[in-house]
Amino acid sequence: MEIMGADIVRAFALLGAGIAMGLGAIGPGIGEGFAAGKACEAIGRSPQEAGLLTRTMLVGQAVSESTGIYSLVVALLLLFVV
Amino acid sequence: MTGIEWIKAASVLGAGLSVGFAAIGAAIGEGYTAGKANETLAFRPNLAGEILKTMLVGQAVAETAGIFGLVIAMLLLFSPMEGKSLLTAWAYLGAGLSMGLSAIGCGIGAGLPAGTACEGIGRQPKVAGQLNTLMLIGAGVAQSTAIYGFLISLLLLYKQLPMGMAIVPAFSMVGAGLCMGFGGIGPGIGEGMAAGKAVSAVARNPLTLGLMTRSMLVGQAVSESTGIYSLVVALLLLLNI
Repeated sequence: MEIMGADIVRAFALLGAGIAMGLGAIGPGIGEGFAAGKACEAIGRSPQEAGLLTRTMLVGQAVSESTGIYSLVVALLLLFVV
Repeated sequence: MTGIEWIKAASVLGAGLSVGFAAIGAAIGEGYTAGKANETLAFRPNLAGEILKTMLVGQAVAETAGIFGLVIAMLLLFSPMEGKSLLTAWAYLGAGLSMGLSAIGCGIGAGLPAGTACEGIGRQPKVAGQLNTLMLIGAGVAQSTAIYGFLISLLLLYKQLPMGMAIVPAFSMVGAGLCMGFGGIGPGIGEGMAAGKAVSAVARNPLTLGLMTRSMLVGQAVSESTGIYSLVVALLLLLNI
């Protein structure tokens, strides 16, 4: 079995893509769930403010999502560009 | 060492990783549920039957993640190894990692709504049915990333691989396993947190059940997104071979 240098780069780029997206998904998943949980708690306390709370929750989750999207972009770059 | 011994070694390592990691999450989730149930029973001993029932149902849902891990471990241990490509060893390693790691989050996540449902029944025994339904919906959604992990494991287990050994497909299969495995942890825990808070809010104010189910599902859907990105990247990695 002969392994070329280019193969090694490609192999590690694919492994790196998997690790990047996998670990990158942990934080946003927990963070967005935390925001959703607190929003549910708040809507339970004052149901008349449900619209405002849902909007605030979604804005907060969108910011929390950003690192997940960075991971996705890096994983796709590693998959298709490197 | 010959090819078949490497495949055997990878299959036992993969089986250990699968059931070992999966057991972490399921056990934490079930322990949390049992703890909350005991806490509630201390001041509502007359509701013992209802709380015990909810605790067991909630724990059964949390256990499914552990059972997925066990199923993949058994499939790995008893899969045919004669005449297989050496790449199969890497596929088995990836399958174990994918299932084991993704089950951690879902076990913990399913335990959180079950715990708050026990607490909520202590607070409002009249709405026990609604609380159980909301708990099951929330815990079911929290299980979804474990199901993605199970799917990627099965794809890795039954993939037709070319003979011989090459480093690119080998690493891409382990990468797919790690991607879906780690990617399942966060959404599982996050969705469980959302479901837990929604169940406890309904226990405080049962009139908000419809509104709360909707808010919970919207929050969980956003939390699920990174799990879906992981699934997509894992599938792209598998297609690369």
